[in-house]
Amino acid sequence: MQTVKLAAIPAAFSSSCFMFRPVTKTLGLISRRNHSQKPPFRLLARAFSAPALQTIDTTDNKGGVVVKPQWKAAIDFKWIRDNKEAVSANIRNRNSNANLELVLELYEKMLNVQKEVDRLREERNAVANKMKGKLEPSERQKLIEEGKNLKEGLVTLEEDLVKLTDELQQEAQCIPNMTHPDVPVGGEDCSIIRKTVGNPSVFNFPVKDHFQLGKALDIFDFDAAAEVLLLFIVSGSKFYYLKNEAVMLEMGLINWTLSEVIKRGFTPLTTPEIVRSSVVEKCGFQPRGANTQVYSIEGADQCLIGTAEIPVGGIHMDSILSESLLPLKYAAFSHCFRTEAGAAGTATRGLYRVHQFSKLEMFVFCQPEESDSYHEELIRIEEDLYSSLGLHFKTVDMATEDLGAPAYRKFDVEAWMPGLGRYGEISSASNCTDYQSRRLGIRYRPSQLSSTNAKKGKGPTRFVHTLNATACAIPRMIICLLENYQQEDGSVIIPEPLRPFMGGLERISPKCS
Amino acid sequence: MQTVKLAAIPAAFSSSCFMFRPVTKTLGLISRRNHSQKPPFRLLARAFSAPALQTIDTTDNKGGVAVKPQWKAAIDFKWIRDNKEAVSANIRNRNSNANLELVLELYEKMLNVQKEVDRLREERNAVANKMKGKLEPSERQKLIEEGKNLKEGLVTLEEDLVKLTDELQQEAQCIPNMTHPDVPVGGEDCSIIRKTVGNPSVFNFPVKDHFQLGKALDIFDFDAAAEVSGSKFYYLKNEAVMLEMGLINWTLSEVIKRGFTPLTTPEIVRSSVVEKCGFQPRGANTQVYSIEGADQCLIGTAEIPVGGIHMDSILSESLLPLKYAAFSHCFRTEAGAAGTATRGLYRVHQFSKLEMFVFCQPEESDSYHEELIRIEEDLYSSLGLHFKLLLFLAEL
Repeated sequence: MQTVKLAAIPAAFSSSCFMFRPVTKTLGLISRRNHSQKPPFRLLARAFSAPALQTIDTTDNKGGVVVKPQWKAAIDFKWIRDNKEAVSANIRNRNSNANLELVLELYEKMLNVQKEVDRLREERNAVANKMKGKLEPSERQKLIEEGKNLKEGLVTLEEDLVKLTDELQQEAQCIPNMTHPDVPVGGEDCSIIRKTVGNPSVFNFPVKDHFQLGKALDIFDFDAAAEVLLLFIVSGSKFYYLKNEAVMLEMGLINWTLSEVIKRGFTPLTTPEIVRSSVVEKCGFQPRGANTQVYSIEGADQCLIGTAEIPVGGIHMDSILSESLLPLKYAAFSHCFRTEAGAAGTATRGLYRVHQFSKLEMFVFCQPEESDSYHEELIRIEEDLYSSLGLHFKTVDMATEDLGAPAYRKFDVEAWMPGLGRYGEISSASNCTDYQSRRLGIRYRPSQLSSTNAKKGKGPTRFVHTLNATACAIPRMIICLLENYQQEDGSVIIPEPLRPFMGGLERISPKCS
Repeated sequence: MQTVKLAAIPAAFSSSCFMFRPVTKTLGLISRRNHSQKPPFRLLARAFSAPALQTIDTTDNKGGVAVKPQWKAAIDFKWIRDNKEAVSANIRNRNSNANLELVLELYEKMLNVQKEVDRLREERNAVANKMKGKLEPSERQKLIEEGKNLKEGLVTLEEDLVKLTDELQQEAQCIPNMTHPDVPVGGEDCSIIRKTVGNPSVFNFPVKDHFQLGKALDIFDFDAAAEVSGSKFYYLKNEAVMLEMGLINWTLSEVIKRGFTPLTTPEIVRSSVVEKCGFQPRGANTQVYSIEGADQCLIGTAEIPVGGIHMDSILSESLLPLKYAAFSHCFRTEAGAAGTATRGLYRVHQFSKLEMFVFCQPEESDSYHEELIRIEEDLYSSLGLHFKLLLFLAEL
């Protein structure tokens, strides 16, 4: 297995489909962006834009390189063909570099070759049948010849079919998910504020940012981390130790959030943080793309997860769930690892953008008709959680250019961070409809209600819909709590809901040193 | 930077010093073993036995390969020389493949070269001083010649000195730590039981293992994890998650009460820090996961990032002792553990752990060792566990 090194590749080439790139303005926690600048090197870009490849070809290749995909997404080509205007408009709206014309062309070709293959097989069977009967030697000889020709023709055609199928996969996997009709079309400035809760806190003393506050409270250590790790000189180390009350804060936040979501019917989970690369790809991320957010393990086809969404999505990989199990609602706790490659320019000191952090993630598997309503439920849960903690925030319906390929619709929560003087993303809730489930192979069997059909539960399967939403991303929450609850003397008040989960601690005070 | 793949290397070559190998019988959480079988290919082994190398030479090289170490340990060579019998006996007892004779030899050589270098430098300074005064042209010319010769000689000697110093480092880093006099010599079979707490519980029904129990209680998932990640990975579900949270929360509060500073740590660290703690990220059958395209590794224990917290520092005495309780996820390849496979949670690639770490003055480490083991005994007794405390020479 070739391993592609974590090398820096010029921005022009960084146009991978399902890439996991940091958001600049809204400083998104997770964003999968369609390529937002149309690159001059479109053809080269395509070589990078295909996921599920065993090797990535880096040469200038007009038609793109077809390599055998490691796995196949169950893409509905017929639907794409029948809805090609809508699909095309969607690709444009999302600024994706998917090539729909090529996909449709390959699909037609594939169908034709398939037809031809079927026809030849029929003829070969017919010949085989004829040979069973009593024949003149000359007739038998003719049939043997015919059979041989048919067989050779078939082998060639079958090879073509495989090649076409692989190329079709490669191109079609680039097509982003469709978009909810209410989603605004355009870039970040077009995103719509759905809801605002609270107001920016008013301070009658100079406000400090979390980095200053944390230093004075002796609850962080970034410098030691920089020694222990290689540092990015401009932006600080992006690794950190939490100390003293910051540790209690992390534990308190996790414990409280976990109990809140368990009350709401979510099954708690902890997950592996090392997963197979293919699972990362199936969820819509690109471990080997340029400027990838994904750390890879040396000498193995494995990666570190950037979010628990990945191992949770994978939990039901290649399965058929019974309808009665749905919806499946998980609250998964994990550490998350992100390279933040390409984020050097947008550096902020402190916890805002870090390589490793703890997160509690909600994940839902449901029936297709219900995903819109579960999306509303997830964002409502997030809003409840952040209101309970007394945060001021706005919920934003993200515009098409800010949606990652898997997302049908995405709501971000941006909370006010007075020390930084701006809103920062603290969570993201996406409805991925069947994008991930078609790649992960997750289906369910609708129960048959027809009284005339005795075969209950044997109907055709359908793909589930998947949704994911951040319940609590620890570093961003710590920033919010420290900056919003700071007092003039540098101490920080702990919001009431967290106190029982922190041994009753009411305030973090500066240490006398 | 060359990256050495996580490849399997035959056991004969797996004789690295501070390698992080799984314990077989007591199935210890962490054990650093001296090479336990004297390999037939001792010389080849030496090439693998030196940590802190930029590249690992894999060719048959009689004298061992000296490559530039990335970092130097501040080893007390004089003490080693002055106590060579004790050091030699210790090396034997621990079944280490460190070559003390070679270390002492290199040390002497190095001292001699150093002396020579110092001498030449003195002469060169003397020559330089002479040249400041008023001289006959022929005298001046002679001095210039002399100065030139001295300089050339120095350059050569200084190169030799560097090579010797590097080789000395490479060999000396293999020498294991000295051993407390009470530790029984020999392997695990010679272990002493220091303490026993409680008794095995008596059940009046057939006892199940944790794997069966967990399955029936729907609190684990190993099958899905095998698909998503591979074997020895798992999901915890439902009450097992509460159990993990409860254990961490409770243990953390218990150790905080006892004066430990709580900490969470990076789980990705520089390879050199891993080595400085005595682990070997690039050894054969290494326990350490490496990150592709970077000189970084995943930690197998919070000991590593906590040890590193005060790297290259001078602490004021008043700060000591520093007592940390560090919570982290830990990652281990468990390479070479395939034969001892047990199903379930016994040996896994990723797990959560709360680790105590103490920095203290030398005279106090024995007593802090006693304090730490007492804390552990208290914790496990409080949970009603039956256990025994063993003292044995943990082979690296």
